[in-house]
Amino acid sequence: MRIEAIALIAIALLLLTAGCTQPSGTTPTTAAPVKDLRIGYQPSTHQMAEITAMEKGWWQQDLAPLGVGNVSDKVFPSGPPEMAAMQAGELDVAYVGAAPVLTALATGLDARIVAGVNTQGSDLVVRNDLDYTGPQSLKGTTIATFPAGSIQDTVLKDWLTRNNLTPDKDVFIKGMAPGDAVTAIIAGKVEGIFLPTPSPSTVVNQGKGKIVVHSGEMYPNHTCCVLVVSGKLIREHPEIVRQIIATNDRAVAWNKLNRDEAAEIYAKKTSANVTDVKASLSEWDGDWASDPNVIVSPVLDYATIQYNLGYIKKPLTKEEIFDLTFYQKS
Amino acid sequence: MADRGGGVMGKLEIRNLSKAFPREDGSSLVVLDNISLEVQDKEFVCILGSSGCGKTTLLRMIAGLDSAESGSIVLDGEKMKGTDARVGMVFQEYSLFPWRSVIDNIAFGLEMQGMTKDDRYRLAERYLKLVNLTQFRDSYPSELSGGMRQRVAVARALALDPVLLLMDEPFGALDAQTRNMLQKELLEIWEATKKTVVFITHSVDEAVFLSDRIIVLTPRPGRICQVFPVDLSRPRDRTSPAFAQVRREVLDLINLNCSIQ
Amino acid sequence: MDEVSTIAGKVQRVKDHWPGILAIILTLIAWHCYAIFLIRNRFLLPGPVDVFFAFIALLQKGVLLSDFRVSLIHFAIGLGGALLIGIPIGIVMGWNSRMDAFLNPIIEILRPIPPLAWIPFAIIWFGFTPVSAGFVIFMGAVFPILINTYTGFRGVSRIFVEAGRMLGCTRTRDQIRYIAFPAALPSVISGIRIATGVGWMCLVAAELFGVSNNGLGKDLWFFYDLHQMDSVVVYMILLGLIGLVIDMIFRYYIEGRFLKWRTGEVA
Repeated sequence: MRIEAIALIAIALLLLTAGCTQPSGTTPTTAAPVKDLRIGYQPSTHQMAEITAMEKGWWQQDLAPLGVGNVSDKVFPSGPPEMAAMQAGELDVAYVGAAPVLTALATGLDARIVAGVNTQGSDLVVRNDLDYTGPQSLKGTTIATFPAGSIQDTVLKDWLTRNNLTPDKDVFIKGMAPGDAVTAIIAGKVEGIFLPTPSPSTVVNQGKGKIVVHSGEMYPNHTCCVLVVSGKLIREHPEIVRQIIATNDRAVAWNKLNRDEAAEIYAKKTSANVTDVKASLSEWDGDWASDPNVIVSPVLDYATIQYNLGYIKKPLTKEEIFDLTFYQKS
Repeated sequence: MADRGGGVMGKLEIRNLSKAFPREDGSSLVVLDNISLEVQDKEFVCILGSSGCGKTTLLRMIAGLDSAESGSIVLDGEKMKGTDARVGMVFQEYSLFPWRSVIDNIAFGLEMQGMTKDDRYRLAERYLKLVNLTQFRDSYPSELSGGMRQRVAVARALALDPVLLLMDEPFGALDAQTRNMLQKELLEIWEATKKTVVFITHSVDEAVFLSDRIIVLTPRPGRICQVFPVDLSRPRDRTSPAFAQVRREVLDLINLNCSIQ
Repeated sequence: MDEVSTIAGKVQRVKDHWPGILAIILTLIAWHCYAIFLIRNRFLLPGPVDVFFAFIALLQKGVLLSDFRVSLIHFAIGLGGALLIGIPIGIVMGWNSRMDAFLNPIIEILRPIPPLAWIPFAIIWFGFTPVSAGFVIFMGAVFPILINTYTGFRGVSRIFVEAGRMLGCTRTRDQIRYIAFPAALPSVISGIRIATGVGWMCLVAAELFGVSNNGLGKDLWFFYDLHQMDSVVVYMILLGLIGLVIDMIFRYYIEGRFLKWRTGEVA
């Protein structure tokens, strides 16, 4: 009998205290200075700007005058875990594919896309012994790509469907991290991979595959990576958000002019092979571009595709996805 | 019980049997030294001695569980090498297979011989009856008392109808009352089945009650100190003066001649 | 008369388990309050109500049953392989000292390698087949089985073997079959039980790498990638419950049937 009495008291206490807590996030507090700005990124040349800016100290340089104490970055193998970290409050800024942002926003992520990062830039690589004459050559094969909910997964499945190939029936899609996918095709365990640069060049340079389709052919000018900032940062430090975009643009401009050195910085940070990186920069069909206004339409398109695929439970609106006030055309 | 007519006897002849175990430092430990003895057919013989005198080793060598490097062991004219179907053994304790029921334990040897289930159960049930445990046919050893387990062990050894039955202090782990009862039962079974029995004990009382002859061994190295015939008529009365007399003689013998070398 | 007695029996059983049932109800309530009032973030902590609705949705799509079937196949491959390899090697090493000395160092080096560390080679050797997932589960399950079989055989009382020899069981093959194996069986079964626990835990990681498109572990990660944590919790609970059922099958059915001779030994 005593156990039940204690239990009832515990429940009562729980309910009492539950009623006493403040709802989070709605009371405006005086914005505290940002002690630690955490940026998430993935090891893809799409996001070279982040790496260049970090290694050259530009994040630190440009944001210190705005009260930012320390800037750190964290690498993720692909978008979904990066968005999970942001949703858990571990990231303030994220360089990430547009699709994982949408699935995260649909389940309550407090953040907005404030700028673009790049368009296109992923390749379909197939084994050398596969005679590729068009999408139908892929019937019955297995292709490794980023996990469900990523740009690559979304674009690939959409392209296959439009070419009358049913994903998981005519072509088998397996989601995994880029390193695993590269291992898989090199070991001959999958027939193809669909990954962002520089992974395709890694496979080609090892003599284990050939690039057959650029993602731009599947979906012209499709948005790939975007710059996402937490709702908290937007509300409390809009000036920091503006500067982040500006620093990103500075790094992009420099990367375009100093391709080889940029490749070396990237290779050093991500332990990639410099030759692969340089090769990928010359073969990719992607472009670094930060104007978010031009990507509104493609991203809303993604949202619809994801809704049709059943990845998100309700369609998203432009206001729920974007905050276009920070980008200033230079 | 099997009819043992026509030349099948249980005569055991041991000649110059010695056994030494190698020690860690390279020297050897002599456990038995030049044992020679004869056991006649249908005889009940006790090997008596204190701990460490090698009596268990002697029994294991007769059983074939330990090898005999020097000397010979002959049963009914045939030299013994390794375990023999003609010899059965009852260990001191914990020898019943705990995962088998009583009837399956008793039938084990028959199963090893390839008997069909019906045949071996029929035969096993006869021995089960002999040790008065019929209602425990399907029980498991863990459900039986110590005394009952040893009775099952006896039935199990007898099921193969050996001519020679070896018993290594089978009642040593039991209380006095159970021990006395089982000694009596053992003698009844022995009279009924007419086996040759070699029984090891360190209890003088037990040796005097059970045996036709007592073979006293000295402590390590084990040698035959004396062979003592017990001329009391059966059934023996533990409380009779004659019994006490024999007992005293044996005790004196042990204490004076056969203890410390 | 019968109805009354069974009702009384049922009431008694509920009364016996009442503390446990109460604990579960309280936990659910606490979880619900904590999620709704304190955390207020479906991503950080989905509440039991969200999880329940996610469960219904998944059930209606029929995906849970097919996932369960696929996972069971992976598990069966891994555990089956572990039995086929672990038991014979355990027997050989437990019975024969020379084989023990020979194989022991290899086993001792391989054993501490975490099963999940074998995933890269699972993919390279077996690709994306059920055998690949089964292999990872195998690496987790084989060592408890091997070691417990080995220990069981080493621990067989010498007296059993000698009694067996006196009763005509002289060939090694027979001694293993009729004496050592039954004597070692409690240890073997204990090893299998541990192995199923470990193997089931490896399932989620083994299925992570896109081995198949279904599977309880694979879909747990699928919903994680889509940030649908309520579905993730559904899979977590399912995995836990199935693991529990497997263990209970061992405890009540297998051990009850094969080891009933032990009841007299331990209270």
